[in-house]
Amino acid sequence: MAGGLELTFHLAGINNQNFLMRDEQTGTYWQQISGRAVSGPLAGSQLELVYSDELTFGLWRNEAAAGMVLKPVIRDASQYAPSDWDVRMQKTPTVLDFPNTALRSRDLVLGIAAFDSARAYPVDRILREKLIEDRIGSEPIILVVGPDEKSIRVFHARLHPGDPAPEYYRSKPARGGADEPLYMDAASGSQWSFRGCAVAGKLTGACLEPIPAVKDYWFDWRNYHPATTVFRR
Amino acid sequence: MAQARFRALSVLVVVLPLALAALTCLVLPIYVIRPFRHQGATELSVALFVTRIAPAVSLACAIGAVAVLIFFWRRVQGWGVRTLAIFALLGAVASAWLTRINVYELMFHHLDRPEFTAADRAHVDSGDMVIAIRVNGERRAYPIREIAYHHVVNDRVGGVPVVATY
Repeated sequence: MAGGLELTFHLAGINNQNFLMRDEQTGTYWQQISGRAVSGPLAGSQLELVYSDELTFGLWRNEAAAGMVLKPVIRDASQYAPSDWDVRMQKTPTVLDFPNTALRSRDLVLGIAAFDSARAYPVDRILREKLIEDRIGSEPIILVVGPDEKSIRVFHARLHPGDPAPEYYRSKPARGGADEPLYMDAASGSQWSFRGCAVAGKLTGACLEPIPAVKDYWFDWRNYHPATTVFRR
Repeated sequence: MAQARFRALSVLVVVLPLALAALTCLVLPIYVIRPFRHQGATELSVALFVTRIAPAVSLACAIGAVAVLIFFWRRVQGWGVRTLAIFALLGAVASAWLTRINVYELMFHHLDRPEFTAADRAHVDSGDMVIAIRVNGERRAYPIREIAYHHVVNDRVGGVPVVATY
């Protein structure tokens, strides 16, 4: 929605390999990655981001047994992406590059824009380390890999403003379920699940605030976040 | 003879620019906004503006070209001039039609009425990635292999209108 108006969107173009969409109601063009209107009667408007996860279906189903899944359209199914689409996409040329920056154009990053800062985390680094503690702006965050070894979530590392930022350690998940202890914090000794909630220990029941993050190619993330830093510790 | 030639050219002087304007409405956005081409900020802005006005402008140009040729067809003498006039007319009319077609949705079909199934009945591999949201307690998953094709899914989750994009 924008300005109280409910909009219906259509794929309508491309801008340096990030697509544009147009709403039926006003004919305004919107940039997909930013949700910002770039041309038309609503130019300058901003769609509100809905928090989303990028997870494996198996892990999501474990967390959301009552959830609903988009059904494929039979006539289009033959054109859906193959299982190795991300590998193939790596070989696709780019039209926008940023030489002399920290990463290569098609490097996959997890981009986080929060606390008035932007930071990019190489995905292969996150998957390798399983848990990363870092700061964005002045705030501590943790990046956690799920029990499926593919899904990633980001949380604000402290429960309340002003709390000291605890240290977190990765545990080994017992059965890989959504509510299994995955990591613990040294301060309280509590065990935390991939949902970001404490499932054992002093803080049981408390949940960390999830931070929106987007998996993107470096060139696209850098294009829309020119002041971004890169995690390289 | 000279007068006849002048009268024919006077018709072309109107019809050709109308056809050119209509064709520009069609061709400029296609040229600028295409995959695997870098888009500069200014040219994109111009191309999007042209795209927004293209259906109305190209239709007006086509109607104008048709009207001029109908009323002044007798002035258009000579096979060369008539051929040129007809091609211009066809170009204008074709542009008026084609500017109404969303070529991107010809390539990637729009989901008019997305349908959903329960998680335990979905035929999705456990290892396939999904984009998942939860709004007002209602949960939804969009398999990336599907949404990477359709690109845009207009939906309503937890009573809130959302658009899932990839």
